[in-house]
Amino acid sequence: MNCPETARLLNPYIDGELDLTTSLAIEEHVQGCARCRASLDGLQATRAAISRHCEFQAAPDSLDSGLRVRVAHEGRGGWRAALRSPVVVAAPGLAALLLAGWLVLADVMKGAGPPVATQTRVVYHISSSDTASAALRNLANHLQAAPDVKVVVVAHNNGVDFLLRGARDESDRPYEAAVKSFSQRGVEFRVCYNTLERRQIASSEVIPEATLVPSGIAEIGRLQSREGYVYMRL
Amino acid sequence: MLPHLDAAYTLAFWLTRNEDQAQDAVQEAFLRALRFFGSFRGEDGRPWLLKIVRNACYELRKRERAAGTLEGLDEQLHTPDSAAPGAVLVFPVNPEAAAIERAGRDLVHGCLRTLPHDYREAVILRELHGCSYKEIAAICGVPIGTVMSRLARGRRLLQFRIIDRTKRKDTGT
Repeated sequence: MNCPETARLLNPYIDGELDLTTSLAIEEHVQGCARCRASLDGLQATRAAISRHCEFQAAPDSLDSGLRVRVAHEGRGGWRAALRSPVVVAAPGLAALLLAGWLVLADVMKGAGPPVATQTRVVYHISSSDTASAALRNLANHLQAAPDVKVVVVAHNNGVDFLLRGARDESDRPYEAAVKSFSQRGVEFRVCYNTLERRQIASSEVIPEATLVPSGIAEIGRLQSREGYVYMRL
Repeated sequence: MLPHLDAAYTLAFWLTRNEDQAQDAVQEAFLRALRFFGSFRGEDGRPWLLKIVRNACYELRKRERAAGTLEGLDEQLHTPDSAAPGAVLVFPVNPEAAAIERAGRDLVHGCLRTLPHDYREAVILRELHGCSYKEIAAICGVPIGTVMSRLARGRRLLQFRIIDRTKRKDTGT
């Protein structure tokens, strides 16, 4: 073990990430090398300073109680049970409220008032499962004709079906692959939480490319009034 | 206290460097965790949750950057991973461990807060959360070699800054 090798491995050494043989080789080298020993001392002093001064942050009680209300709802035994449960046990209303709060916060951080549109923004509203594949065809054509367009697809009512796991179109092709490819091109898919609740669909059924919004209709309204989106019903 | 809440909040606090934003990020992360727990298969939940927290912080930061409200801390001066991969790290002959030991809480906090984001993330996950390299790699979505170099560079930079500031404090400059 020479100095450059030791210098490279000192961090994994102090973190216990090396095998025994390599660790012993480093220890042997450090014993006989003042320079590497000084490096090791410095590194350990830095670690000690962090552990002395930067303790674990205690989460505020308000954060704990707020989350507790949601995850421990319905007496399901709290977070761990919620984690294992295949269905949503959170109080949906409150979750939606918090999500709405989050969206408002996101808006505030983006700056007040509707931004000046520098690109064409279009919100596609899909409310029926029959029109989903036609909508995706239109979307593909749209992106081809106007590659810079920003599209948000808001699905609500039976329009959410194509964003559920395992969904297939009339030709038995999975929607998920198409959605994934659109999503890689910057298209966003948002699913109405009210719809899921009403139709008793677990949010875990929604494919990961889609995000949940408290209300599809409210989201469409918000996109139009606050973010300068043009509405398109499909 | 909910399991992992302190761990989640600690990570969010050090990534956002702001208590309110840390709370927002944790709330968002727990919401997302709820949303995705259908795909959760019962392995140790902590790295999984920390990954969601980390991503929530990252998105918060991206939005802030877009809005131009990100604090102008000096982290921008040091682009992470700018050195050639596999470059040999040469440590100072005299790291002045004594100076580091003298450093007070505010000084250490200040140095850690201004560490470049990617380095800070690796250091916090390792030192405060005790994550292994493998866990950090999974949380940050980078190879283990990158974790190793971020930790090494992060700690080295932290060490230099602590020594530098302690000395300047000693001499009153």
